[in-house]
Amino acid sequence: MNEGILIGINTAFSGYNIFMVMAGCFAGTIIGMLPGLGPMSAIALMIPITYGFDPASAMILMAGVYYGAIFGGSTSSILINAPGVAGTVSSSFDGYPMSQNGQAGKALAIAAYASFSGGTIAAIFLLIAAPQLAKVSLSFQSADYFALMCVGLLSIAAFASKGQFLKAMIMTALGLALATVGQDALSDITRFAFGNINLMDGISFVLLVMATFAMSEAFMIIFKKMDISFKASDVSKAKLGSIKLSKAEVKEMAPVIGRSSVLGFLVGVLPGAGATIASFLAWGFERSIASAKDKLKFGKGSIKGLTAPETANNAACTGSFVPLLTLGIPGSGTTAVMLGALLSFGVQPGPRLYIEQPELFWAVIVSMYIGNVVLLFLNLPLIPYIARILAIPKNILVPLVLFFSVTGVYLISFNAFDIYFMAIVAFLSLVLRVLNYPMPPLILGFILGGMLEKNLRRAILINDGSFSFMWERPISLALFVVMIIIVLLQIYQGIQKNKT
Amino acid sequence: MNINYSRLSALIFLLFFIVYSYLASEIKVFSFDENADFNARTFPTFISYIGIFVSFLTLVLSKNEHEKLGQYEWLKVIVLFVLVFTYGIIIKSIGFFLSTNLFLMVAYYYLGVRSPKIIILSSIPVVAGLQFLLHELLDVYIRDPFLQTIGVIS
Repeated sequence: MNEGILIGINTAFSGYNIFMVMAGCFAGTIIGMLPGLGPMSAIALMIPITYGFDPASAMILMAGVYYGAIFGGSTSSILINAPGVAGTVSSSFDGYPMSQNGQAGKALAIAAYASFSGGTIAAIFLLIAAPQLAKVSLSFQSADYFALMCVGLLSIAAFASKGQFLKAMIMTALGLALATVGQDALSDITRFAFGNINLMDGISFVLLVMATFAMSEAFMIIFKKMDISFKASDVSKAKLGSIKLSKAEVKEMAPVIGRSSVLGFLVGVLPGAGATIASFLAWGFERSIASAKDKLKFGKGSIKGLTAPETANNAACTGSFVPLLTLGIPGSGTTAVMLGALLSFGVQPGPRLYIEQPELFWAVIVSMYIGNVVLLFLNLPLIPYIARILAIPKNILVPLVLFFSVTGVYLISFNAFDIYFMAIVAFLSLVLRVLNYPMPPLILGFILGGMLEKNLRRAILINDGSFSFMWERPISLALFVVMIIIVLLQIYQGIQKNKT
Repeated sequence: MNINYSRLSALIFLLFFIVYSYLASEIKVFSFDENADFNARTFPTFISYIGIFVSFLTLVLSKNEHEKLGQYEWLKVIVLFVLVFTYGIIIKSIGFFLSTNLFLMVAYYYLGVRSPKIIILSSIPVVAGLQFLLHELLDVYIRDPFLQTIGVIS
């Protein structure tokens, strides 16, 4: 393990990869700041750029983008009460009131320090937890992987659907169905291509992600007449105020950071949960344990109220890498996009990654820490300048996002069919999103579809065509019990909702 | 049962998964694989069952959600959609540089930008910069008849 860490440090600290982290954090901050464009869009836009890179550098860049996007989302939450990312909605509860009270600089500093601390503590947890889980997961068989992927799909449908579990399940099934287009991995029989040569290789992952996130977000900004313009003068250095924190304020933040880091990391590790749930839970938890006097400050510019979600969302981002790197199963929509990118590089994340490609495994973990340092020391002083990106009017921004999305897909295949197909998928995604169909389950279903089929095939063939593996293997059984609990919980919540 | 957009979409999905189920049953497998425990049809068939089940449940259990789809900017999105489509049609014939600049300029103008200076500065340098990055730094060659004609690229 120590040797692996050293290899990882060596890889992550190469000049090229440090540049990647810095570029990723910077690009992520800018994209994450723009309301409507979240980490998934930011990472999707990065995929075509990383095609010439080695997998470690590409992952490092994407991890930087992920962090940067969350940090950028916090900035727009605090400054203009327009969270760029769902995971930073709760940061606006106390961040925006602080900003209105003339403490915008202080609020941004709290967000930066809390994010840094949360990310750092979670990176240490990741350093300890990931190898242990990787070792345990070596005992997993196909049946267990199949069960684990089913849990992942079900839980992302349950947690990421904002109460629309059935709609999320439809999207999961649709994602799985789209994954079956093209040649069957074992028999090479072409399925659902309808004689179209462009579909024989299957649907491109980058195309689907770009269309459902980046392009449909751009359409959405126009469609919903979202007003995202903002005056550059509002984020001038003079208006932000001081970014210095007093000793008393640091003392107030410290215990909150400790609690929220643990909570955020644990929530991040759970499949389907992620930064949004972690940040809301942390805010709610801090509020519930606060004294009666402190409780009144929540929602009006409380330091604890801003520290908790900011710490938790960064810790959750780090936590979500645990199932991705050790089991090869993404815990969130964003890590699902990263998994797709890794697969397109020919890298199969999972327990073997830790043994076979330690430089990639450890470099990503180490670079997360570097990313936190970069965000703190590079972005914080630059915020007044970076925040000017918010002044880009939507009539300039939307064509640019469309251009980068289309170009990103076209440059991979040089096939105009991909542009037509992408436009159709983006338009359909827009309609589905308006009707409250969530997109992350679709992406997760699409990415896991191939692996799910492969593992189910193996499990069934090993068991002579029987499904007895579901109850004969203890790990599979435990995971299927978890699935049943998730479904029952959804039914219970549905009944409760109907009563009210 | 009232018809609302949620139910309508669930009905469309139900029909989609029924058709998908039919198409899955029509997948031609090798004769020796026909009666195998798992063949190319098996997984799509499972998916179609799940899809049909959840779409049916959504159709039955959906509540009225007061969607007012008329209040949105449908026309602008459709025009942008057509613009992207047109971009796909012309990119091969007139090349990346010219088609992308045209796409951006028309999109800016359609979305309300009237200053020629902003339109030009937000398109030509962006496209030229990206093309330079691709050609010179990332070694990605994009065939471009226009730039070849004026002698910028070989």
